[in-house]
Amino acid sequence: MPPPVLQTMKKENQSSADPRLSELLREARVAPGLPPGFQQNVWRRLEAAEAPARPASWLEVLANLVLRPRFAMVAAAVVLLAGILAGTWEGRQVARQDARTNYLASVAPATLR
Amino acid sequence: MTMGRSLIILLGAVALGAALFAGSYVTARRATVMCCARPADDLSWLQTEYHLSDAEFARVRALHEEYRPKCAAMCAKIAAEKSEVDAALGGSTNVSGAAQAKLNELAALRAQCQAQMLEHFAAVSQAMPPAEGKRYLVEMKQLAVGGQEGMEKSMSGDPGHEQHH
Repeated sequence: MPPPVLQTMKKENQSSADPRLSELLREARVAPGLPPGFQQNVWRRLEAAEAPARPASWLEVLANLVLRPRFAMVAAAVVLLAGILAGTWEGRQVARQDARTNYLASVAPATLR
Repeated sequence: MTMGRSLIILLGAVALGAALFAGSYVTARRATVMCCARPADDLSWLQTEYHLSDAEFARVRALHEEYRPKCAAMCAKIAAEKSEVDAALGGSTNVSGAAQAKLNELAALRAQCQAQMLEHFAAVSQAMPPAEGKRYLVEMKQLAVGGQEGMEKSMSGDPGHEQHH
């Protein structure tokens, strides 16, 4: 309950309120304008939100996979290992062939081959 | 993520992978060749290739040491005979009787050398475990004698070979 002084002031204000003044005050209130295309934008956003998500292509899926640090590290390790294994195997074949040639050169004259 | 960006990422990843593979392949190959291509001697390859025990390898080495001087002597004879053939042929445009005789002698020496070599291969193969010895003999015969087959086939009109005259 407000103090008696305030109750008195409120009564005075209500009684002295000028209907014309109130009307003018009501008319003078400025309503903020909407930006251009506001309604269209709202509808567009609503439609976009309601539309089902576009399925990602296999290219995008792969690209996303490649960008994952753990996958990238594992793939790099596998490729590195494959390169080392293939190189070692090939190197051994070359070395073996060279050794065979050297042996043959030591026992079979080139003029006979 | 757009398709174009995905494609660029994937192509970059593939290029990076290819470079990584090529780098590791070349390095490993070179290192292996450098490491394994310089055995202590020409024979150490035999022991690993044909899975020889130390005793078998010692026997093979002994046979090899025994054969080398004979082979060297035969090579020297062939080289001398070739010089004589060259001298007999000289700058003439036809083959004289003397040159023909020298060619026959050279061919006989080569055949003798070849027979001696094949005998050595047979002896070495007998010093190996049977299966390995058989493999050794087949490979050595092919490498030491088979080299002439291509030329002979091309000269004999084998349809698989084109003749150039």
